[in-house]
Amino acid sequence: MEQKFDGTPKAELRLQGRKVTRTAVMNDWGLMLRWLVKKDSKEIASVPARAVDSYEHPDSNPGTYTIVLQSWKYVNYKKDPKGEFVESKFVDISNTVTYTI
Amino acid sequence: MLNIGSEKLPLCSGPTRRSFLTAGTAGMAALSLPVLNRLQATGKVNEDKAKISNCIVIFLVGSPGQNDTWDMKPDAPENVRGKFKPTQTNVTGIRICEHFPLMAKMMDKVSLIRSLHHKTGATHENGQRWMMTGHDFNADAMKPHMGSVVSRVFGSRGDLPANVILPGPIGNTGAGPLHGQSAAYLGSAHEPFFLNADPARADFKVGDLEVPVGESASRLDARKRLLEQVDDLQRRTETGTTTALDASYQRAFRLLTSPEAKRAFNLSDEPSPIRDRYGRNTFGQSCLMARRLIESGVRMVTVNHFDTVFNLSCWDMHADGGGLNNTYHDYERMLCPQFDWAYSALIQDLEDRGMLQETVVAVLSEFGRTPQLNARGGRDHYPAAWTNFLCGGNIRGGQVIGATDKIGARPADSPVEPPQILASIYHAMGINLDTAMMPGPGDRPVRMVEAEPIRQLFS
Repeated sequence: MEQKFDGTPKAELRLQGRKVTRTAVMNDWGLMLRWLVKKDSKEIASVPARAVDSYEHPDSNPGTYTIVLQSWKYVNYKKDPKGEFVESKFVDISNTVTYTI
Repeated sequence: MLNIGSEKLPLCSGPTRRSFLTAGTAGMAALSLPVLNRLQATGKVNEDKAKISNCIVIFLVGSPGQNDTWDMKPDAPENVRGKFKPTQTNVTGIRICEHFPLMAKMMDKVSLIRSLHHKTGATHENGQRWMMTGHDFNADAMKPHMGSVVSRVFGSRGDLPANVILPGPIGNTGAGPLHGQSAAYLGSAHEPFFLNADPARADFKVGDLEVPVGESASRLDARKRLLEQVDDLQRRTETGTTTALDASYQRAFRLLTSPEAKRAFNLSDEPSPIRDRYGRNTFGQSCLMARRLIESGVRMVTVNHFDTVFNLSCWDMHADGGGLNNTYHDYERMLCPQFDWAYSALIQDLEDRGMLQETVVAVLSEFGRTPQLNARGGRDHYPAAWTNFLCGGNIRGGQVIGATDKIGARPADSPVEPPQILASIYHAMGINLDTAMMPGPGDRPVRMVEAEPIRQLFS
């Protein structure tokens, strides 16, 4: 029985200074959650977000930072020759928050 | 024309009882229930009832590697320790994989058994038989699933079966059909009830006994009438054995339409945040249903985390580049988080409801995985050492029983074999292994399992 993932997960992010806090995830698929951090549009970190509902990125170098909450989305088992998923992927499940240093 | 859910069956061409019962999801449940009920009528129930606890077994089909999960070896060479790191739990000195952060916060409730091993073949089926029955066996000497044993000892409560397996039986895992999920010689009265449906589906309904659009009679009456029509037809063409089944089918309808059973199986009664907390996936919702079923009177619920190991993301991490191509990516992104989320929800939920003290929760698997990574970065079958764990009931949490050597290859302390796990579960459920015997050859009473409980679990 291939697993079924109905609906779309959704959470809200709130920013206080550089600390981002998330709500509980509605329609949670129960898979990996992570904070995806970008600096000046370039991905610089992904941090597990399942066990804690807030995160403060330690980087204090000048730039514009964005943070979004992502969930792993299992579509199917297909993988490329290197063992990486082809269609299953991380997807944004929240609003994106932005701050500038 | 018969309308069964969305199915249309032509009466004039002679629908069989089977075609009636196998129509859609309703059919799956309805097929299982009459068989269960019919055979319960002929079964034997041991009335020697002790203090009864319940049990939920989570069976990790495919089997996680011990070095990647609950028996990490961070000081071993890279090709042994793998890619994950250990994290500290809420019990000093006990560390588990970083991808179980929520379980780590409740380790004080859990007893890890790190020295499990068996000495028979390294197939999934060998391991399933060991861990589901406490025995290895062949087709000529099948042994009953532990839930079937519990069913025979304690019987059922109310309208619900004693032994339920979610979401369905184990199917193809590579080496044959003997998975240890049958009642074997105990007789079909104690066969597990298989849900055979996915509780994560938005349209999930057990039984699916919906009155077709336009049907004016009550749902129950409509269904009974339809059954009677089919029965009449069958009686004209079949022998008296059909008639003998009637009571079972009637009872199945009573079960599926009783408020008690409907309530137990109706996941939509759960608040949305609770369903989210278990995870909106097949495994998570099966764990939630397990709690509901135990709450409603089922004695033992087994949740199979996957029913096969082929062509889907599961614990069988061979990384073979084909149909068994599970890798660290599967563990990190899907399997560990899914287990951690659902398991921690189940334990917390049981505790919040005051049910954990009367419910043993066992997480079992078939074997471990090779201590050294294979050439593609996966791990293969390895029955010489692995970790399973128990909590709830009178199990003492916050401890580790047994240990493996430096690379997780062999038990180095307090080796444990599968029958000891079964004996421990029976003991924790209040079964006296010296008095509650099973029927053996020639009706000679025999022990359920040739082992003693692991005393350290309870001290």
